[in-house]
Amino acid sequence: MITAFIEGPLWYFALVVFLIGVAWRLFAIARIGSKPDLSVPRRSAAVSGFMTSLRRFLPRREMGSRIRLHVLAGYMFHLGLFALLLFAAPHVLFLQEHLLGFGWTPMPYWAFIVTSQIAFAGLLLLWLHRVLNPVTRLISDADDHVAAVLTFVVMLTGCLALMEAFTGLRVLHRFTVELLMIYFPFSRLMHAFTFIPSRAYTGALFGRRGVDA
Amino acid sequence: MARMKFLCDAERCIECNACVTACKNENDVPWGVNRRRVVTINDGSPGERSMSVACMHCSDAPCEAVCPVDCFYTTDDGVVLHDKDTCIGCGYCFYACPFGAPQFPTAGAFGSRGKMDKCTFCAGGPEADNSAEEHRKYGSNRLAEGKLPLCAEMCATRALLAGDGDTVSDIFRERVTWRGSSGLTWGWGVAYSKPGLRRGRDVEGRATGKD
Amino acid sequence: MNNNKPGRTRRPVALYSALMALFSLMLALPMAPQAWAGGSEPAAKVVNPGTELWREVRQREAPRAGVTQVAGMDSGVLINIRGEQWRQFRMEQLIPAAGVLIGGVLGLIVFFHLLKRGVRLEHGRSGNYLLRFKEIDRILHWYVATVFIFLALTGLILLTGRVVLIPVFGHEVFSVIASASKEGHNLFGPLFLLGVIGLLIRFVSKNFPGKGDLGWLLTAGGFLGGKHPSAGFFNAGEKIWFWLVIFIGLTISATGLILEFPFFGQDRPMMELSLVLHGVGAVLLVAGLFGHIYVGTAGMEASLESMTSGYVDVNWARQHHDQWAEVCEAEGAVIAGEDLAKKQRLRGTKNRVPDRPVAEEGR
Repeated sequence: MITAFIEGPLWYFALVVFLIGVAWRLFAIARIGSKPDLSVPRRSAAVSGFMTSLRRFLPRREMGSRIRLHVLAGYMFHLGLFALLLFAAPHVLFLQEHLLGFGWTPMPYWAFIVTSQIAFAGLLLLWLHRVLNPVTRLISDADDHVAAVLTFVVMLTGCLALMEAFTGLRVLHRFTVELLMIYFPFSRLMHAFTFIPSRAYTGALFGRRGVDA
Repeated sequence: MARMKFLCDAERCIECNACVTACKNENDVPWGVNRRRVVTINDGSPGERSMSVACMHCSDAPCEAVCPVDCFYTTDDGVVLHDKDTCIGCGYCFYACPFGAPQFPTAGAFGSRGKMDKCTFCAGGPEADNSAEEHRKYGSNRLAEGKLPLCAEMCATRALLAGDGDTVSDIFRERVTWRGSSGLTWGWGVAYSKPGLRRGRDVEGRATGKD
Repeated sequence: MNNNKPGRTRRPVALYSALMALFSLMLALPMAPQAWAGGSEPAAKVVNPGTELWREVRQREAPRAGVTQVAGMDSGVLINIRGEQWRQFRMEQLIPAAGVLIGGVLGLIVFFHLLKRGVRLEHGRSGNYLLRFKEIDRILHWYVATVFIFLALTGLILLTGRVVLIPVFGHEVFSVIASASKEGHNLFGPLFLLGVIGLLIRFVSKNFPGKGDLGWLLTAGGFLGGKHPSAGFFNAGEKIWFWLVIFIGLTISATGLILEFPFFGQDRPMMELSLVLHGVGAVLLVAGLFGHIYVGTAGMEASLESMTSGYVDVNWARQHHDQWAEVCEAEGAVIAGEDLAKKQRLRGTKNRVPDRPVAEEGR
């Protein structure tokens, strides 16, 4: 009964909330627009926007050694997560069957395990940093913590179901994924879709005026 | 009630592996999993002996004792079976088994195993007797049809005996008696050397000169 | 029968019967083994040619293995005696010992706490602080703590679940829990190894035996003999805990890796030995962990904040780690309370922006 609900109505509900929510948020941001810039452009805005999007993948040199752990853990988590989501065999099969109708070559199983270990370590270090650093602890709110914990729970339930032999564990993972999908558009996790536009906008705005941002 | 046992007569086993093939065929055992195997000691030398071994269906099975999820059970016939739905693939039964009976399909990396598979004495599993589900998971259930395991039925030389322990040991005792005073009057000790029925021979088959 | 056929000569039935009987008797002679061997030598003196071979197959040390068509580790071994030894150790010794040890340690801690109610700050709080653990140390510590607790929980479920949890949950539900535990345990294992290596790198320099350690041990940290013994950055008890974590942790990790990657020729005796070391080490660490948690929280007042905020009260430092407090005070590393209190609130505040300095000098 519960399985049918989670794999049926709740899945469709989560999918709809996720897709429409993300689209709505992006549309709302785009709709704000910007005032026309009447100054003489010093540099191409488009090129600057593109360059800033790439440049911001690495921290500024002024940050020095203070930010090293954060950047390392951050990449561990994000790269591991994308590798997991897009190239782990059970996920590729799922996307093929339930969403896209086509698939691609997945990672070998050992790579699946290693990337998930890296992702777990990265997320754990990131969240601990958030809680133990006095500045980040002060500026973090419930949204930040819920996002981190929920993502961790989704990954954990996936790990627990690795044997792929027990329906309960698979359904638990599916359920937490759906919770995350419903939570996604209303939270900071939207950074997944907004970080490129944000960097590009800032880069374009300042680059047009001749400033590297 | 009958207590089912296997007995392999090493003086008759000719290492033909018919038992292995019969088991794999009858139970649709997947690749890489071998419920029964024939082990040959001293292969190629005088004194070579072969024995077919699978699950021995121990009366006090160590696999049953060690399983962390307690998925083994012993039927009224003394056959040790297990429930694949409960099995978590930890491999402890394989470590505990003296005969290496539990087998695992290599399911993933890092030595992670799938569900354990082993000789069932052709008695299936916890599913309904002779159902499609039972055959898919555990192989055929010959015992429910009143038949004995196919490995023993197929044995070319009747080296492998299977059935009620008392009956099997009666058959074997009769054989031993029929063979005469010792293993030297019959079997491999004689087959590969000059027959000298009363001559003392060592394990290599060489005559020791004693009468 | 012969008599009934018409036109046939009657055969001498009696003669034939007697001959048949004699013939049968001769055939039956081989069935009497004792009578066959010349009468003088009993058959038991002749050794079965297979005796030596089967003894070698069955022996405990280096049993004779054969060849087989089945490819696999140890598939040529007919009898693995060690398996039963391992099974007995695990089911009849390790599992009960784990219960006794863990239950015993917990009971001891409760008893100890009821008796002593924890060690209080002798002079209360001073309101001034010293930095004890930098952020990286705290992150590393809690990383190892989280991963270890997860591993301990899943490991204990796998070890004792059959005895403790199956009666509660039943076989079906427990197999789900056990499968989840096994997969989680196997995945997080290597993460623990990374954490232990990190701890080793960061803390080893502070954990070599030093001045005051022997005295600390002899007075059991001040428990025997009233006066609080002198100690450096880490006292002897902490150093012992550190080295236990490192050595047992590395043993557990090494055996865990052996168990998780059985493609390097590990045979069954090696896997069984690894399981034994892994289990024993893990149970010891879990028992020690309860003591560590107790001392870090209820057992000693004002200790936990060293690992959460990183700062400790100067009075705490003077009481428990006087050598280190002395060095810090000489360096002028004491931070006044008001500055710290603002920044080190453990709960977030409603205003996200930290306090700004008031513009006084007319900017």
